[in-house]
Amino acid sequence: MTRSIDWRRTFGLREAGVYYALLILLALLAAIAHSRGLPNYLSPQNLGNIVYQASLVGIMGVAMTVMLITGAFDLSVASVAALAAAVLVGLAPSIGFPLAAGAAIITAIAVGIFNGAVVQFVGINAFIVTLGTLTAVRGLVLVLTDGRSLMVERPDVLQQMLAFESTRVPIFWAALLFAATLLALAAWKRRPLDALAGIVVGALALLAGRDFTVAAPVVYLALFTLAVWAVLRFTVIGRRIYAVGGNAEAARLSGINVHAYKLGAFVLSSAAAGFAGVLFGCRLGAINPTALQGTELTVIAAAILGGTSLLGGAGSVLKTVIGALLLFTLTNGFNVLDLGASYQGLIEGAVVIAAAAIYTVGGDRRRARRATVDTAPQAPAVAEAG
Amino acid sequence: MVEAPLLQLHGLEKVWPNGTAALRGVDLTVHTGSVHGLLGANGAGKSTLIKVLAGAIPASGGDITWRGQTVRWTNPRAARAGGIATIYQHIPLVPTLSVLENMLLEQAGGWRIDRAARDRAATVARSLGDPFDLDAIVGDLPIGTRQMVAVAQGLMSDPALLIMDEPTASLAGDEREQVYRTIRRLAGEGRAVLFVSHFLDEIVALTDEVTVLRDGRAVLGARTADLDEAAIAAAIAGRAVTVLERVERQRSTGEALLDVRNLTSPGKLAPTSFSATGGEIVGIAGMLGSGRSELLHAIFGADPAARGSVLVGGEQIGREPAAAVAAGVALVPEDRAAQGFISGMTIAENIALPHDGWLIAPRREHDAAIAAIDDLAIKAPDADALVGELSGGNAQKVVIAKWLTPRTRVLLLDEPTAGIDIGARTDILRLIRRLADQGLAVLLISSEFEELLAVTDRILVLRDGAIVAEVDPATIDEAGLIQLASGTQSRTEIAA
Repeated sequence: MTRSIDWRRTFGLREAGVYYALLILLALLAAIAHSRGLPNYLSPQNLGNIVYQASLVGIMGVAMTVMLITGAFDLSVASVAALAAAVLVGLAPSIGFPLAAGAAIITAIAVGIFNGAVVQFVGINAFIVTLGTLTAVRGLVLVLTDGRSLMVERPDVLQQMLAFESTRVPIFWAALLFAATLLALAAWKRRPLDALAGIVVGALALLAGRDFTVAAPVVYLALFTLAVWAVLRFTVIGRRIYAVGGNAEAARLSGINVHAYKLGAFVLSSAAAGFAGVLFGCRLGAINPTALQGTELTVIAAAILGGTSLLGGAGSVLKTVIGALLLFTLTNGFNVLDLGASYQGLIEGAVVIAAAAIYTVGGDRRRARRATVDTAPQAPAVAEAG
Repeated sequence: MVEAPLLQLHGLEKVWPNGTAALRGVDLTVHTGSVHGLLGANGAGKSTLIKVLAGAIPASGGDITWRGQTVRWTNPRAARAGGIATIYQHIPLVPTLSVLENMLLEQAGGWRIDRAARDRAATVARSLGDPFDLDAIVGDLPIGTRQMVAVAQGLMSDPALLIMDEPTASLAGDEREQVYRTIRRLAGEGRAVLFVSHFLDEIVALTDEVTVLRDGRAVLGARTADLDEAAIAAAIAGRAVTVLERVERQRSTGEALLDVRNLTSPGKLAPTSFSATGGEIVGIAGMLGSGRSELLHAIFGADPAARGSVLVGGEQIGREPAAAVAAGVALVPEDRAAQGFISGMTIAENIALPHDGWLIAPRREHDAAIAAIDDLAIKAPDADALVGELSGGNAQKVVIAKWLTPRTRVLLLDEPTAGIDIGARTDILRLIRRLADQGLAVLLISSEFEELLAVTDRILVLRDGAIVAEVDPATIDEAGLIQLASGTQSRTEIAA
């Protein structure tokens, strides 16, 4: 037997559109930068910078994607992240950074359990519940900070926090190793797509050079994405997450504990938001009570750009991260190239709607459904060899 | 012939954009005031034909002659205006609106409800025998009454032809009677009815003429009086089908494999106790609402309100589906699409759903799916076909295949043959027998009592959430079973 790939589908707009969009945008911005005589837009430093700026939204977006796959919704992530940051900044001077970070994430998880329990056991729509916690948790942040900015003033603790967030990590060898793993896997399993990914990663690493470093959050984002992707792609838990979102009743009657999976998604979402909040608090060693306001919408926009269905049952964390990169490339491009910040929101919104339109309209019904499923863990298409 | 036919199709064709031919030249004639039965296996083209007649999709070739004139409807509104009303199988009513508002959905005009419209609706309702309250919310009505609301909605435009797509598929006993009476009344008023059904006895009893579709062609068109069930069934299947015959099976007399003790659910199920041995097929007969599905859901732990105990192989199982599955209990639910399979997943993934473990083994799952496709004769291109794209019978086989693991010892089947054509139905009944022979205890619910009589070892009769009788299928006939289940001594005959 040989494995065959539907190339037209794999490289069609619907499956790969978000990658094309990112490439086109980067090329466009590079051309503008070149024509204006600005420094190379596609320098490794600037690209690393974009990923760094996108990392918090990316981390929350990966968890949000899992959430959307199970068919639920979490509007409260940005408020939860702000709460975690406030807990961290508030407690760090007295109990030290590691304990405070733990407390922050536990606080976030508590909100997630509350959200999930109310949605699952009281039966209120997730949109309404998390809209409530979005407001309430933001209120809690105001109460905790007394409406003022908090700051960590103990230098040793501040040092630890900055180190956690701003350490530069050399990734040359790690990226090469990852590329080699992908290529080996591709050769072993005969999967050309893995080979392509391996080549891209390897080429980027070689172009960036041995001394290239990225900020720690980029590494955290990469590790988290990789872990969630692997769980969704290779494990029974992953399949069941898709099943719960695809048809909860059929999943329940197949003996799957639907409550546990849905509650788990809320916990994951809030935990990821908590971690993002910790990173945010560490970035400045301070927290402003209105910090991250509105970020939940960017997070959801990233997931939608990545092709995640709001109806559940389909979605890909990798493409959500690409979606986040697309949004932050826009922001970064407008700032770096000074294209007029006023247009930024207009264009971002248009991009999100255009993406959703492509996912909805692109391809006929059958191809559309196949494509959404293709992001679910499944055996590659197999054809009988003569 | 006294008058020209109301509707005449000549060489009607429909080819989908992807090249699939759904209709390959259908001839069909419907006369005013007659009931015309339309039959065919799943995928024979019935639904496509109905959609073409309703103006929902255009025909690719052939002629439609309506009241002597060639017509070509481009949208459903035109067909409605022309005098054809269509009631689809999955009743498209708005559950949150009242009966009246559902009936008035297509009405134009400014006011939400005006006096004249209400009077018109009341007249239509009266002509149907006032089966419902005009101000009731549709979502609160039982499904049989909703079917009547759909009929009433169709009648609001005063159609000359009413098309009904499997109006009785999800109904039981007296609810079907209501539909039959309505169809006769409509024919009596001089309207024509095009009646689609899987049930041969209905067709024979109700219709004046019959058209059978197979592979997009009309293979039989005749007066019903000249036909019998066997002839129609043969035309549907394209081969002579043997009517299900009862096979006396070796009775197993071993220990109870499934033991249900005082299982009860408030408002749904009275305390119920019974047991089943391995190798035994226990039929559960009951009308809709008798608590049939509720009983299976309670056994499976899918009803959180249920109390009592269920023992499998002598060990009590937990009260949740996961525990039941772990103990070897499997449920094939009534509503395939909503409860049975995940339409966006492949055959292989659906079959692998209940499997435990940590890592997905694509190759093994694929092989298991291929084995199931061969074993159960599932008609699918390959193991990666989406279950949502299979026909009803094949999707049902996938749902059953999901549970065919060594772990499964008790199989709960809730209407496994509903909405499935004769060929696939026979396959499934044979499979049930084979599984029992392999030592499984099987509980089988079916509205087709002849199926129960043919395949089960004994039958529990359920009424109002309680077992009211246990009968030996060898000693009772369908009419007797219907009497027990409906609790009436004399049942209104289908043949009027």
